[in-house]
Amino acid sequence: MRRLLAFATTLALVAPATAFAQAEEEEKFDPSLEFEQHPWVPIELGPLDLSITKAVGYLILATVLTIVIGIVSMRVRFRGSPTRRQTVGEQIYEIAQTQVAEQGLPHKSIRLWFPYVATLMLFIWVINIISFIPLPLSNERFELLGVELPTLAVYAATSSISVTLALALMTFVFTHFEGLRHNGPVEYFKSWIPDVPKAMYPLIVPLEILGQFMRLVSLSVRLYANMLAGHMLILTFIGLIFVLGNLYIAPFVIGAATLFYLFEVVIVVSIQAFIFAALSAIYIGSAIEPEH
Amino acid sequence: MFTLLAQEAASNVDAGKAIALALGIGLGSLGAGIGIGNIFGSMIQAVARQPELRGELQGIQWLGFALTEAVVFYGLIGGLLAFVLV
Repeated sequence: MRRLLAFATTLALVAPATAFAQAEEEEKFDPSLEFEQHPWVPIELGPLDLSITKAVGYLILATVLTIVIGIVSMRVRFRGSPTRRQTVGEQIYEIAQTQVAEQGLPHKSIRLWFPYVATLMLFIWVINIISFIPLPLSNERFELLGVELPTLAVYAATSSISVTLALALMTFVFTHFEGLRHNGPVEYFKSWIPDVPKAMYPLIVPLEILGQFMRLVSLSVRLYANMLAGHMLILTFIGLIFVLGNLYIAPFVIGAATLFYLFEVVIVVSIQAFIFAALSAIYIGSAIEPEH
Repeated sequence: MFTLLAQEAASNVDAGKAIALALGIGLGSLGAGIGIGNIFGSMIQAVARQPELRGELQGIQWLGFALTEAVVFYGLIGGLLAFVLV
């Protein structure tokens, strides 16, 4: 174990040195370049640009992984003593059930909306966690022993606002659909307005309508900015070696970057997945059963 | 390092923008820092008084933590937008 750790440390210290040698003739370091989208497979339908880009590649990968994890952890044959797979599956299910669905959704609609919020939680968790694994999905290439290979890079599909906005829009549409279905249009829109004197209405009503749309913004921007800032932080710390052109600071910046990496992977990834699902459940639940 | 920073911020406008961005985010995280401290402080007090409620409180704690922490990032996005657009 200790020997493995020493080997990994040496490797980590050697890796930037080789990258440093290559980076000499490259352009200026700019962390925002990592978040650019280049179409891999251009698909354009009139004004719609549906090209397959890096983000779409990550989304497809995450979808497949979510389905695999779901099937593997839930489809377990029942035996006397639980296997490890079953335990993991039950833990995921329990968090989704007790912490997410039961906190937000009214009892009668858990059956209908539990699959949605549980899928959201698992999907966002998967897409966040694969964003911290270096994958050869970038456009850059490098040569190793005469063979051209794609560089390993970390990238989060959720650090693109389009992805998180699409997820938030889904919750937004479902919220109002359920609210209209269960309460009828008049009752539902009335429930938006709190108990205030009639004279306050011109002030309160626009604010409440704006508040409904601010939910959309806050839900999407929270996830987007968290992942963007997390990746930017790690990239900037590593990039400090190249910006300052000094190899001796490498141990410090790699240490700092590792620290942030661990913080992101251990805490932020799970929290963001949890909070997106929990807030979706709360929004849908509050539309189904308004407080007054 | 400082000569390099001076080169990066070629004109005074760029330097001013960089300082404004850093100050804005720094001041923004001040508020969120206080908020997160409050949340965890209250959580410690609550668990110390009623340890059996830990499981239930933990969900609320993380919800509050994420909601508060996100405020920094609204500031960051606002700052970056101002930095890029102006």
